[in-house]
Amino acid sequence: MVRATTTPGPRRGAPGRRAGRLVAWVVTAGSALLVVAPVAVIAVSILDPTPSLWADLWRTRLPGMIADTLTLLVTVVVGAAVLGTSLAWLVTAHDFPGRRLIGWLLVVPLTVPGYVAGFVWLDTASAVIGPRGARSIWLCAAVLIVTLYPYVYLFARAAFRAQGADLRDEARVLGLSRVAAFARVALPAARPAIAAGGALVTMEVLTDVGTVRLFNVSTVADGVLRVWFGTGSRQAAAELATTLVATALALVVIERILRRGARYSRRASGRPMTPVRLTGVRALAATAGPSVVVAVAAGVPLVRLGAWGVEARRAGATATVAGGVWHHLGATLAVAGLAVAVCLGVGSGLVLFARRHGALGRVMVRASALGYAMPGPVVAVGAVIVLAALDRTDLVPGPVVLVGSLVGLVFALGVRFLAVAVNGIESGLDQMPASAVASARTLGARPIRIAWSVELPSVRPALVAAAALLTIDVVKELPITLLLRPFGFDTLAVWVWQATSESLWAQAAVPSLAMIAVGSAAVGALLVALERGAEVVS
Amino acid sequence: MPNNGSLMRKVHFPPSRLVFSAIVALSGGLVASCGTGSGANPEQVTVYTGRHYGIEAVFDEFTEDTGIEVRFTTGSDPELRERLVAEGANTPADVVITADAANIELAASAGLLAALDSDTLRGAIPEELRSEKNEWFALSRRLRVIMHSTERVSEPPRSYADLGGSAWSKRLCLRPSTHPYTQSLVASLILNQGAEKAESIVEGWVANEPLYINSDTDILKAISAGDCDVAITNTYYLARLLDEDPATPVAISWPEQPTTGAHLNVSTGAVLASAPNPGGARRLLEWLATKGQKTFSDANFEYPADPSVAPADLIVGFGEHTADLAAVRQLGRLNQDAVALLSRVGHE
Repeated sequence: MVRATTTPGPRRGAPGRRAGRLVAWVVTAGSALLVVAPVAVIAVSILDPTPSLWADLWRTRLPGMIADTLTLLVTVVVGAAVLGTSLAWLVTAHDFPGRRLIGWLLVVPLTVPGYVAGFVWLDTASAVIGPRGARSIWLCAAVLIVTLYPYVYLFARAAFRAQGADLRDEARVLGLSRVAAFARVALPAARPAIAAGGALVTMEVLTDVGTVRLFNVSTVADGVLRVWFGTGSRQAAAELATTLVATALALVVIERILRRGARYSRRASGRPMTPVRLTGVRALAATAGPSVVVAVAAGVPLVRLGAWGVEARRAGATATVAGGVWHHLGATLAVAGLAVAVCLGVGSGLVLFARRHGALGRVMVRASALGYAMPGPVVAVGAVIVLAALDRTDLVPGPVVLVGSLVGLVFALGVRFLAVAVNGIESGLDQMPASAVASARTLGARPIRIAWSVELPSVRPALVAAAALLTIDVVKELPITLLLRPFGFDTLAVWVWQATSESLWAQAAVPSLAMIAVGSAAVGALLVALERGAEVVS
Repeated sequence: MPNNGSLMRKVHFPPSRLVFSAIVALSGGLVASCGTGSGANPEQVTVYTGRHYGIEAVFDEFTEDTGIEVRFTTGSDPELRERLVAEGANTPADVVITADAANIELAASAGLLAALDSDTLRGAIPEELRSEKNEWFALSRRLRVIMHSTERVSEPPRSYADLGGSAWSKRLCLRPSTHPYTQSLVASLILNQGAEKAESIVEGWVANEPLYINSDTDILKAISAGDCDVAITNTYYLARLLDEDPATPVAISWPEQPTTGAHLNVSTGAVLASAPNPGGARRLLEWLATKGQKTFSDANFEYPADPSVAPADLIVGFGEHTADLAAVRQLGRLNQDAVALLSRVGHE
């Protein structure tokens, strides 16, 4: 790739440009440092390990934790990848009754928080196979698959759509069957997108603590909290958490190495893919298959929550907390809006900067995404430590307190979810024709202008997709919001926690449904924008 | 290059500009919203509370009574403690309330709490239920007892060790060891029975292949539904179920009577060493230990910490019993040993 610094241009070396570069450096490096700090204060513990802890853990729970984590990870990632990719191909390349509606509904399960879906399914399955049978790692994996597959589905769908008709038609002209055209052309070309979705699923599984506990599955993330809150030793917990981050990091690096050199630039003609119309039994199957997935993943939780909501209303037991739905909804929307804006702003800045600054830039991007590989409660405490330290310095004016402010909360959420923005934007840029940037550069455009006028507009669908995913993630997020929210600032997730931590499931129904409604609205906006966006790009 | 043409068309009004303006506007709002925390307002007390069930009504009553507003945040005990440690002298919190004794003891040993010289508190709270240096005070008693099905169990177990008897094989429900209530119970067994005996008791439970359920309410519902016959839970969860449905077929069997008594844990309150409003904090704590005792305890059907305050009628019906007051102060110290023991014997 040609470095921006070697770009010939009339204004090369002008003082304004040098100042601009300096500002870009300072801003990017500064925000990367800030975002990494909460992870770093935890991870630094590994430099001074506690051998007794590891010996004890190894003799007792650690082997089981590793086995459970690996089993869950492999099952869920493979399950979500297969389900997400095949559903994406079904709705992009085929036409069948209800296709548009189904295409939208397939994303809705993502809006059901894992801890809510987990409880609903535990309760439902207990009634059928008994409470012992229901508490199994396989049911836990199934719940995670049906709540997480939309990550893969969304990315794969966008990729298939962006491939347009050319790729598939050329494959067909060259004599490949429809199946072979998918398997040998469309699928490999969509690999970066599938991997991007799979990476999100991987992180979600590695860091989940809400769902696994319901099923008595003892993962490493659960172990971090077990060690921490069981022994009161942050040091010991931090060491365990660091191994988790290292695992996540290793997986990302391996994926990158496997993908190295595979850039999927294409010559897009703007001809959207014409779906193959399915008829008869095939059409029936195409409608029924995804419908079953939606019914299982979203329908059952919605029906159960609805029933609980009615039950709570009848018992007059809706008031777990002060302030009604609107108060909590307002807080949720405010924090989601701010966190999304910050993640997208910082995320695009980082990614675009990294593309111009080789290895160092790439390291900054990878490091800034580490918060996504840590369990939420660990990030929450890391963020509190950093914010409290900032509060003690002169950088923050005397009476201002970051811990427990909206700024602090948004910062911590940024630390946790920046990876979602970065991941989305990168996969968008990977799909962009490299020639566009090269042409702009040849025409003498400055890097900032290239970013502004070429790169960002062309990844608009990716930005919108990332915004929707972030909204859904932030709305569902619990441990960070719980620890860092300002006084009286209670989100829907906090309300759910107030009720469920006392096993008052009926009282959690209304806020859970409200969370799903907010998420579904984000999904709707996402899909409308993706459809428009796909036209812009292709 | 048709492709570039279509991209460059967007130059005049890239949508990202909108995003950018939004970010600028929002950041302005964000900075303006930064808290100005520790400016002490004598009319306001700030509380971090790990016990949140029905707490709002209690604070409302305090405000009505004294004119002092209560600003509070809820959360889990250990996470709130980490926040207090990180905030140090800058904390806006005046009072911390926990749902168990071990967590407040950890906060005390981290030097977060102020010793309180208060005749009111000493008069109301028995010696065993406050720390030696008067850094924390119990506000209510939470008893962790043996529960049994009234339909299928005629001779319920009489001690925690009995639950390891082969009669209860696959009939026992327990809370996983991730929960502090389980840890504190085992800590008290270590104290009362010695480490070896405690380990063999827990081994007995594990040998019975218990069904682990991470919620006391759901454990009691499992007994009602016939999924297990005996279990260990706190009493107030049964009280809540009985309050909803008096026909709930579950009853208490008081363990370790009249010897060491049923395992007692406490919810606690303490004033922080860095409290911006120590005077208000003290008033809240004293109020909770006296006038507010009944509301605080009844809100969740717990037994008042002050033995002279009458418990709610519903739980008076649970009967006379001895509670293990002597262990309460030791629960924090022994918590780590309990966690290690639970790991060794493979308790979920």
